[in-house]
Amino acid sequence: MARWYLWTGAAALLGLGLLAGCSRFGAQTVTLQLIQFEQWQRQLRSMKGHIVVVDMWATWCAPCIERFPHMVELYNRYKDQGVEFVSMSVDDREDKAAVEQARQFVLRQKATFRNYLMDENIMQSFEKLGVQGIPDVFLYDRAGRLRYDLNGNDPNHQATLNDVDYALATLVAEK
Amino acid sequence: MSLSSAGMFWFFGIILTVAATTLVAGKYNPVIDVGMHAPSFSNLPATDGRSYSMSDFHEDVLVVVFLANHCPWVRGGERDLIELVNDFRGKSVRFIGIGVNLRPEDLLPAMKDRAAKIGYNFLYLHDPSQEIGRKFGATHTPEYFVLNKERRIVYTGLLTNSPAVMEAGAPRYVNGEAKQFYVRDAILAALAGRPAPVTETRAQGCTVEYTRRTT
Repeated sequence: MARWYLWTGAAALLGLGLLAGCSRFGAQTVTLQLIQFEQWQRQLRSMKGHIVVVDMWATWCAPCIERFPHMVELYNRYKDQGVEFVSMSVDDREDKAAVEQARQFVLRQKATFRNYLMDENIMQSFEKLGVQGIPDVFLYDRAGRLRYDLNGNDPNHQATLNDVDYALATLVAEK
Repeated sequence: MSLSSAGMFWFFGIILTVAATTLVAGKYNPVIDVGMHAPSFSNLPATDGRSYSMSDFHEDVLVVVFLANHCPWVRGGERDLIELVNDFRGKSVRFIGIGVNLRPEDLLPAMKDRAAKIGYNFLYLHDPSQEIGRKFGATHTPEYFVLNKERRIVYTGLLTNSPAVMEAGAPRYVNGEAKQFYVRDAILAALAGRPAPVTETRAQGCTVEYTRRTT
């Protein structure tokens, strides 16, 4: 009887994992979770003490897709130095095809950090996050202060991946 | 300790630059603001094979919209743009699409294909130098600018309160049926000599990619 319960429990867990879109690479799992803005703010506060890199992206954003592998690379380079990476998709939560596309994308990228998709109206997502356009990368220092907002809002000074590299190296070097 | 004259020059130069930027920037636009004279352009090639300058247009209202073929937000909204152009046919209003992106699918040959395929009923210009985009402070596609007879900017931002993204060949309106028609209202107001009811909104779409200047 106990064995039957065990097998049922294991099957249920496996089913849940598949529904949540989990995939494992080595010892790490890739998931894409819906998150409301208030939940995200709590998550962010809980990461105080770490440097936090938040990459705002969407499946319809060509430069975001092109830059994503570099963010994964940065994560692998810095993950053991107190740096937390978060990918925040601002795809439309109502658009099931886009949500699935986003989930498949983070799986393919083997993005073993936190991958969220804003559980808000898409226009509200931008307003609440304080983002005008994407790609936009926020970097928080260990004290939880937003130190860099690297975006394309100024046509005469758009942020590049070099700027992200430089900002992150600067924060990591601070003790 | 006293500042050298060169030091004073740079100090006040920076202060003036920051002040000037603050004075001219809109809420969302870092370069220009509503009420300012629109930047000009000259000899930009169009999909119709000719070249155009700002001085070629004499209509009472100009609508400048930055577009990019690759952008699903542009594709999602282009039918509404075409309809809007039709609605103002016979009125003193000119619509000008401008592309400044440098992705291969956004260059003039691809623009010509797109304009022909979809049946663009407005001018579609390309600026490979990207200068006109920088001058307008355009960072999104689509991003609209409505100019009055004096060529002052009276509105900048979204077409309506419900932008559309192209999904599986059909536009998906992110806020359902549009209820606020910002560009239409701004055109009507400009034609009537009144201020636009809404003057600036945050454009929703793809970010325009500018090349980094080396100087």
